Amino acid sequence: MSWIAVGGEKNKVGHVPISENLSDVQRSGVFAPPGHWRLGWYWAGRRREASILIDRRAFLANVGLGVALILTSLIYLCTGTVAIAPASTLRALFSEAEPTVAFVVNDLRLPRMLAAWLTGAAFAVAGCLMQTLARNRLATPGIIGIDNGATAFAVASVVGLGVSLAPPAMALTGAATATALTFGLAGGGGTRGYRFIVAGIGVGAVFGAATQLLMARVAIDVANAAYPWTVGTLNARPTGTMTVLAIGLGIGVVLSLRLSRALSTMRFSEAIAQGLGISLRRSRLQALSLAVSLTALAVAVAGPVGMVGLIGPEIARHLSSPRGVPVIGSALAGALVMTVSDGVGRLLLSPIELPVGIVTAIVGGPYLLWILLRQGGSGNV
Amino acid sequence: MTTDFPAATLEAHQLWLAYQRTSVIEGLDLVLPAGRVTAIVGPNGCGKSTLLAGLARLHSPSGGCVLLDGDDIQRLPSRTLARRLALLPQQAQAPEGLTVAELIRFGRQPHQGWLRQWSADDQQVVHDALRAAGLQALADRPLDTLSGGQRQRAWIAMTIAQQTSLLLLDEPTSALDLGHQIEVFELIRHLADTGRSIVTVLHDLPSACRYADHLIAMLDGRIVASGEPSTVVTPALVRQLYGVECRLLPDPDTGSLLFADMRLAADTE
Repeated sequence: MSWIAVGGEKNKVGHVPISENLSDVQRSGVFAPPGHWRLGWYWAGRRREASILIDRRAFLANVGLGVALILTSLIYLCTGTVAIAPASTLRALFSEAEPTVAFVVNDLRLPRMLAAWLTGAAFAVAGCLMQTLARNRLATPGIIGIDNGATAFAVASVVGLGVSLAPPAMALTGAATATALTFGLAGGGGTRGYRFIVAGIGVGAVFGAATQLLMARVAIDVANAAYPWTVGTLNARPTGTMTVLAIGLGIGVVLSLRLSRALSTMRFSEAIAQGLGISLRRSRLQALSLAVSLTALAVAVAGPVGMVGLIGPEIARHLSSPRGVPVIGSALAGALVMTVSDGVGRLLLSPIELPVGIVTAIVGGPYLLWILLRQGGSGNV
Repeated sequence: MTTDFPAATLEAHQLWLAYQRTSVIEGLDLVLPAGRVTAIVGPNGCGKSTLLAGLARLHSPSGGCVLLDGDDIQRLPSRTLARRLALLPQQAQAPEGLTVAELIRFGRQPHQGWLRQWSADDQQVVHDALRAAGLQALADRPLDTLSGGQRQRAWIAMTIAQQTSLLLLDEPTSALDLGHQIEVFELIRHLADTGRSIVTVLHDLPSACRYADHLIAMLDGRIVASGEPSTVVTPALVRQLYGVECRLLPDPDTGSLLFADMRLAADTE
């Protein structure tokens, strides 16, 4: 087996060597299309071949986002009511440190940071999938009511409506219910256009009201226990739910990547995607189930922080190339936005803590307006 | 460039196509000649685009079937169908910022997979498609910076890159000015010379007569005439289809039909 990696450098001029004699192209081997790295493998005496293309801009964007995430997270771990020097923080993370520092970093801040990473990534990947599916950047799970559905059901289980399922299972049920309702109300139009979004906003409003109603009818201490669900916070999240989210996110990202080729084709009009061999019904169902599950798992940990599903993919799309659907980029950007937002929420009015959902809403609200009011902004992905 | 394609035959048997409860096409039979340019013509609303959508499986029949080389297209997996039949719908839209070459590379999608993302074949075929459409110089230009004709050629190049024997085009020239129309028609003729079968919906009868080998004239969801344009198209057919009176003269050079003295028929109102 031989390993051949062809860089894009040879290929600055055009997309394949421009040559009048076509056999020249064959003789000179395979070049990566511009803006890509190509990894190729041959085996069985060059009779069989496998190849992977890496989009250079998307790759660099992901590296950049990854570095930013790590730096931000380090700051996140260092700051708080007790400031800790970066060196001590790193020592606490990777070797021995004095017990109080180790406790603050490893037991208080690290789990919360991981919760920010996981929920941010899950919300943003779900947002990216839904936006691509609906070809509209407003169609994120947060806006079309999936978050609210998940929240209403989770709150119902917390305030004890005689339902004993764990919050994640309830959140999943709620998200699925909200999605089914939205689909039903949007009618045959599928996931396209404003009808779907408007139906989703309506469904979300109903579930939001249901949540408020549930909270109003229970004793104040029970309502207090349920309150974090309604705004979205990373304070003292249940570890069991975190584990479920971590596993779910891993599977979800792998499946989304598997789907990303079909997704990038689904950005064209329906007829074109079908003409290129995409089974629309199946791909849509897969993308939608993934988005709903990821949202539900994230809501079960952090409550409805749906704005991340809007902002994360937008950052990723802005940094990446228009050639593909940025699944990994969205995950990283979502984690970054969540970490920054929660860090700001913890520090801004310290020692009072702002729930992360409120911080993302304060940032996300104006951003949403900008999308809606921007000149010529069709809202298309 | 002489890529030769095996002759593909497309036929419809007792095909019924309907939107909700309204039938547009009721029991249509059709055999398309292989390796030729077939134009489907007819007045607005005659069901020609619906028929094309049915032939391309965008629209599932409520009865009957479409056979591609004898296989019912409803039973073919999506990717398999996309390797045998390419389609260019009307008003095709691409994601923002895509370049010509990037668009054409999407045509390779049905031939690619997770571990087969860019092969020597892909490179060769995309190169050929760029050449065939005369777009080498524009390969790295974003689509939205091109003229209408160039953009339409880029879309056709994408379907060329699918390497199918059969190409279905829905009004590929409808939004173009005369020069750009001819650009696209000549590309279509060139593709037919490589052995592809091409079916195109056209609203312009004179162009259909000039560039198609085979004509299918539709009215109210039925085929009212089909065959070689010079034998099928008569003043009577033109009156029946469009309510237009005209005289038809053979072009002294090419023998194709020229339309003269066109006016609304007196009894149409």
